[in-house]
Amino acid sequence: MSRDPLWRPFAPDAVASRSWNDELVVYNDVTGSTHHLGVLGSAVMTTLLLHPTGIAQTALVRGIADDAGVVADGDLAAAVERALADLSELRLATAVPA
Amino acid sequence: MIVADLSAGELRRRLTGPGLRIRVGPVAAEIRSSFDAVQAGLALHYAAHDVLTAGDFADFRVSVERPLGVRRWFAPQALFRFDGNSMFTPLPAAQAFPLLEWGLNWCVSTHCHQYIVIHAAVLERNGRALLLPAPPGSGKSTLCAALVARGWRLLSDELALVELTGRRIVPFPRPISLKNRSIDTVARFWPDAAIGAVVPDTLKGSVAHVRPPVDSVRRGDEAATPGWVVLPRYESGATTRISELSKAEAFMRLVESAFNYDIHGRAGFEALAELVDASACHAFTYGGALDEAVGMFDRFAQAA
Repeated sequence: MSRDPLWRPFAPDAVASRSWNDELVVYNDVTGSTHHLGVLGSAVMTTLLLHPTGIAQTALVRGIADDAGVVADGDLAAAVERALADLSELRLATAVPA
Repeated sequence: MIVADLSAGELRRRLTGPGLRIRVGPVAAEIRSSFDAVQAGLALHYAAHDVLTAGDFADFRVSVERPLGVRRWFAPQALFRFDGNSMFTPLPAAQAFPLLEWGLNWCVSTHCHQYIVIHAAVLERNGRALLLPAPPGSGKSTLCAALVARGWRLLSDELALVELTGRRIVPFPRPISLKNRSIDTVARFWPDAAIGAVVPDTLKGSVAHVRPPVDSVRRGDEAATPGWVVLPRYESGATTRISELSKAEAFMRLVESAFNYDIHGRAGFEALAELVDASACHAFTYGGALDEAVGMFDRFAQAA
C-alpha cells in the first residue's frame, strides 16, 4: 500500500447518514446495518462522503485537524488510521488501489 | 356500535361463534374464544371499541382456545391461534386474557409493516407524541398509566406505530399492561382506574390490565406528530431526574427497540431520523414518585 493511500466511501450511493451535533448515524445499504459513529469516526466519514472519488490519508488528517482547530500530529494520524480501519471493516470506507 | 352495546349473551355468541370483530386503531381483529376470562377481559377493556360487522375486513383472525388432550381435565390450558395456526406453546387457562393481549402484540409487530413498529409506550398532549421506548422492567407502563391518569392521551402502552414518513405516530389504544408491584402502585395513584383481574404466575410475574380511557379509544384515528423521545428507567428509591440525550443515541435506541426496522432498509432509517429530528430527546430516571414524574412531563408539554 502507498505511504499516503487514497480513501473513499465504500459505496457512496449506498450510504444514508444523519448528523446531530458531532455525532453521525449511518445506514449502509451494502450490509443493511446501521452505525452510530463517535466524534472522530463521524469526522472521517463526513470527509469521505465529501470526496466520493477519494482523498489522500494525509489530506484527510489535515482537514480534520483544521476543522477541529488542533495540530495534525502523529497521535491524530494514528487515530484516523484506526478509524479508517474500523470504517473499512464496516464496509463504509475503502482504500483506492494505487 | 361499540362492545359495551353488546349484551353478555351476544358477546358470548359472537366469541364462540362467528367471532367478535373490533377495530383497534388502524387494525381490525376478529376474536374467538370460549374462555369466560377472555369474554370478561374484552367486556371490560375493550368496552369503547367499535364493533365491526361480519362483512368488514379483518386484518387478524385470532382465537384463544382450549387445546385437546388429557390436560384439559387436569391442568387446563389456553392456546393462541392466528389464522388457525398456533405458534406459541399453550399457557395455563388462567392466563387466557393476557395470552390474547400478547398474541395481538405479536400479530401487529410481525405483520404491520406499513409502519415501523417500536416497542414503546406513546402518549399525546397538544397534538405531540411522547415516545417511551424501553425494555421490560424500566417502569414504562407504570409511567404510561400515571400520565394517562393525569390526562395524557394514550396512543399505546406497548407498540408505537410510526408512519414511514417518520412524521406521524398512529394510535393503537389497548389496555395498559401492568406487572407485579406496579399494579398496586397504579391502583393507589389512579383510584378510578378500571383494572382487570390480577393473573398470577405468568412468565412476567403477576399481570393485570388497565382499561384505556374512552377518549383515547374514540380518537383512535387521530395520529400525533413527534414531540419527545424519552428513555425511562425505574430505580427503586431514586430521585426523579431528567437529562438531555444525544439524538444519535436516541436514534440508536429506537432502532434497537423496533421490531421491523431491518425490513424497511433505508426507508426505515430515514423515517426514524425524521422522527428524532423532530423530537426533543431525554433520559429519565424515577424512583416511584409518580406525581413528580408526571409534573415533569406536564412542564414539557406546556413549554412546547
